[in-house]
Amino acid sequence: MTEAVIRKKPGMASVKDMPILQDGPPPGGFPPVRYARRIPNKGPSAMAIFLAAFGAFSYGMYQVGQGNKIRRALKEEKYAARRAILPVLQAEEDERFVKEWKKYLEYEAEVMKDVPGWKVGESVYNSGKWMPPATGELRPDVW
Amino acid sequence: MASAVDAVGNPIPTSTVLTASAKNIGIRCMPENVEFLKCKKKDPNPEKCLDKGKEVTRCVLGLLKDLHQRCTKEMDEYVGCMYYHTNEFDLCRKEQEAFEKSCPFK
Repeated sequence: MTEAVIRKKPGMASVKDMPILQDGPPPGGFPPVRYARRIPNKGPSAMAIFLAAFGAFSYGMYQVGQGNKIRRALKEEKYAARRAILPVLQAEEDERFVKEWKKYLEYEAEVMKDVPGWKVGESVYNSGKWMPPATGELRPDVW
Repeated sequence: MASAVDAVGNPIPTSTVLTASAKNIGIRCMPENVEFLKCKKKDPNPEKCLDKGKEVTRCVLGLLKDLHQRCTKEMDEYVGCMYYHTNEFDLCRKEQEAFEKSCPFK
């Protein structure tokens, strides 16, 4: 009912005579639609990209090398300090060791005084070089 | 650690004090150190190198006392910084420079 009220043509006899309401193109048609590819061909070439990447990589590796140089210098400083103080520490330890060793030799002489042919403090090795005592304990008084 | 010196005023050779003055020791006590190491290389027996070891200890302790007397404040600050950062040289550059400026290597 409402369509006939809206699209009424004066003097129409039936609904079949109504003017046609269609959705269609505007007069003159639609403007043309571009559907062709248009990928531009400008920008850096392959060689340029490769050189840029290679340049960034080499700069990074150069910085790595510089950083390693700095770190090596720091480590060298630490090692040089340790080399410088090594003799003092060794000398102090030698003094302490000699004192303890003398006490131990007296104890050994006391324990083995009845064993015939026992040489106190004799080295158990045949190489002739001095070897540190292999008791398995580094500082028994500390333990 | 309360201080780098004991009651009499001698610097105690702790690891902190020794690393703080390691550069000085390396320069000023080099002959004694080299002699001791040569003796050790020849014979590792401690009893054979006791006299050279005494020389080394004498040189280093004397050097520590001399450094402490010449630049007390800078050395105390440097040793304190070393103690705080556990003998890490890179974290104490400021105190190290002040110490080396006031007590230059002779």
